[in-house]
Amino acid sequence: MGVGIIDPTRSGATPAASRASDAPRPDSLHGLRVGLLENGKRNAAAVLDAVGAELSGRHGAEQLVPRTKHQFAMPLPDELVEELTGICDVVVIGVGDCGSCSASAVADGIRLENIGLPTAVICTDAFAQTSAAMAELQGDPEHPYLLTEHPIANLGAGSIAARAGDLADRVARRLTTARAAEVA
Amino acid sequence: MSEGAARATTDLDPVAARAVTEYLFEQGWTDGLPAVPATDDAVAEFLAHTSRDEDEIIARLPQLGREATVRDAATAAVMAGCRPEYLPVVLAVWDALALERSAQGGGWQSTSGPAPFVIVNGPIRHRLGINSTGGVLGPGFRPNATIPRAVGLTVRNSFGVVPHALEQATQGIPGRWTMLIGEDEEHSPWEPLSVDGGLAPGQDGVTAMLVRTSEFVDNRHFHAPEEVLRDFADTIARSGSWLFRHSAVALVMNPDHARIFTEAGMSKQDVREWLVAHAGRTEEHLAAVGKSLGHLPEGPFPPDHVHPVFADATPASLPIVVAGSRNAAMSMVVRVFSTWSGTAVPVETATM
Repeated sequence: MGVGIIDPTRSGATPAASRASDAPRPDSLHGLRVGLLENGKRNAAAVLDAVGAELSGRHGAEQLVPRTKHQFAMPLPDELVEELTGICDVVVIGVGDCGSCSASAVADGIRLENIGLPTAVICTDAFAQTSAAMAELQGDPEHPYLLTEHPIANLGAGSIAARAGDLADRVARRLTTARAAEVA
Repeated sequence: MSEGAARATTDLDPVAARAVTEYLFEQGWTDGLPAVPATDDAVAEFLAHTSRDEDEIIARLPQLGREATVRDAATAAVMAGCRPEYLPVVLAVWDALALERSAQGGGWQSTSGPAPFVIVNGPIRHRLGINSTGGVLGPGFRPNATIPRAVGLTVRNSFGVVPHALEQATQGIPGRWTMLIGEDEEHSPWEPLSVDGGLAPGQDGVTAMLVRTSEFVDNRHFHAPEEVLRDFADTIARSGSWLFRHSAVALVMNPDHARIFTEAGMSKQDVREWLVAHAGRTEEHLAAVGKSLGHLPEGPFPPDHVHPVFADATPASLPIVVAGSRNAAMSMVVRVFSTWSGTAVPVETATM
């Protein structure tokens, strides 16, 4: 069956992504420069700032480097990748809370990991499916993006602080623990 | 049934056809409706209607690293049920979508689940049998139904944007892959949309924008054009669709509505300017539904401050196209997802 019927998914598909892998992890965040790459979605910067404050206060991060990704659906511009590589030791990415930006956040995380920058990607749990689909597309189907409860766009300041308190420990763990050990 | 048709029917193999249909479903290659199997011969028949290189990249989704060639678009057109001579329109739709920021960004993956809304102008409407009159947004006309479906199959199969995975539509919209209309130029008092979009009058042209949904304005017992305009403005300014500071809206205007505006001496631009000046909601109204715009740099605003829907009075912000039957004066407000480029693209003239 199927002989002579064109597979419509074949010719348009680009070659399968090579197997992606994590960057080497630091032992801790002490003295490190932490990039906070927010995607411009409502409350994303507030959540990452709050996470960053926790990483400084409780995990010893030395410097916070906030940056904005202006086109949340698109791949990171090369200049921004270059800049982050130069001025950050690790990067927190988020918050993926829409159809395109969640997938894109995962793709950004995998890209930075591939060039040696440890990342923690935060998406909301309503977008687990598309985060997983993008991870698979990028050659890292087991990519451990962090899920936080949806939604975040309408959280008030108090709720954001509470959320960040919970997230910061998971972010720190993701940034400092090798994949196999993290699963264990 | 004529003798010829009877003979042809006996030559067909309905059992094999059903098996092939099931096979296409099993592969996950369709949008939930039966599709036509694409073969090299069928695709070649379609490609004969364009002079474009079959390997030309016609659609891109850089965030997924996906591309579609002219040949891929032709494969989708076969599967969607297009006739071979529709291919130049399918390709023109992709040319038009390449100008749309929303389609280049996250539109196909978006929670909004937007549809490509395609408007065709020029004599090609008659050559292909594209409906522009009664039931223009409804079913029953092959090019109207299958050309946008071909776009959807490319999104699914070439881009790999599949529901419940990379496609994250919250509820989707009815008829996502069937929104193609012709403009009823013959019953429009105004220049066609393609001319607003930069093409010459009489030139075959395609306009495409991503849209969220359509809302009817049934205003058939009007006495004065202002009544109809106020009715349009009220629907346009509905708070439920309010998401950002400004939005763009397309009007599929009934020929009878266009007629009364013309009889009142209004050009299409006059109608547009009236609606841009009158479609808005007060800060109080938006705040009451939790959509205050007070966070804007110019804010906060007094309660009676009126926020206009439209950023400006250009065709890009408020495209107006005349279509539908004049048997009852109903028009349709179509919500543009993000923006429209304001540009129409030409359709390649048939090479056969």
